[in-house]
Amino acid sequence: MEKRSIAAILSFSVVAVFFMFTVLLIHPFGNPVSTEMDDDIISNAQTDTGANNAVTSVVFDYRGFDTLGEATVLFTAVAGVVMLFRRIKK
Amino acid sequence: MIDELIHFVIPLLIIIAAIVAILLRDLLASVIALAAMSLLLSLEFYILQAPDVAIAEAGVGACLTTAILVLAIKGTKRKEDEV
Amino acid sequence: MSGMSKIVKTITSISIPFILIYGLYVIAHGHLTPGGGFQGGAIFASGLVMVLVAYGSVWTMEKIKEKNLTMLESLGAFCFILIAFLGLVFGTVFFNNYLVGSNSIFGTVPAAGSGLADINTAGVIPLMNFAVGLKVIAGLFAIVLVMAYAISKKEEK
Repeated sequence: MEKRSIAAILSFSVVAVFFMFTVLLIHPFGNPVSTEMDDDIISNAQTDTGANNAVTSVVFDYRGFDTLGEATVLFTAVAGVVMLFRRIKK
Repeated sequence: MIDELIHFVIPLLIIIAAIVAILLRDLLASVIALAAMSLLLSLEFYILQAPDVAIAEAGVGACLTTAILVLAIKGTKRKEDEV
Repeated sequence: MSGMSKIVKTITSISIPFILIYGLYVIAHGHLTPGGGFQGGAIFASGLVMVLVAYGSVWTMEKIKEKNLTMLESLGAFCFILIAFLGLVFGTVFFNNYLVGSNSIFGTVPAAGSGLADINTAGVIPLMNFAVGLKVIAGLFAIVLVMAYAISKKEEK
């Protein structure tokens, strides 16, 4: 066996062992650890923002800065792709 | 019972589709396997009760990413080189 | 990339209105049903990509120029940030939801708990949905259109 595949198997097994220990430490599915923020948003979102969909009220109102960052990422991606494929006028 | 079975089968299919996408030498077939993985992932999001993420994943992952990758393959070459 | 066969073009022409209307529905009802600006924009852009694949990139580029698409995308981003800054003017903070409780458009507050949904609610959230939807439609379609056109030009040579 060549050196490269030995190194690959070794690094893969090290990462797999670390992930295995992390998976054992995760809390059970469907039982989140701390829920004060979730309960507050679920009980108050409808009267605070007026939106029936609590997810949208989080995305566009409580956490508007996240959406601003996402919009910035999309803008940068589009600008990069259009700049890469633009036609150079002669 | 059937619920736990679905929660077991769909992640398994996702992993199988991802491994198939890596192993295939034909890049076009690999992209199709990736689209199937994306669609199964959106189904998994849906049964985990996140329909927002499911819609976004189905639109972006299964349609737009596939179109972009197929266009990229058309611009380059179809077969992967042997290492 | 020239267009595909006549069967594909006919099927695309029949099914494209439903896809586009569904995308606009997801955008417009973002504050009531699952979805929002990004999801509806992705659906709408997927429909436009179907037209691009069926009819060919040269035909699509003649109909809609990439310059207009990038302009629409910048317009969506500008409207989003403008609405956020208007929160600073009319309300107290950046991203303030200043339309809720007022009697203007999208101003009413629904009764708490589950019940019938009213589209005239949620303040600035629908406006932001429209801005983000415009941005996502134009941005995602511009990426695919520009790539397809560049590859078809490369094949001609």
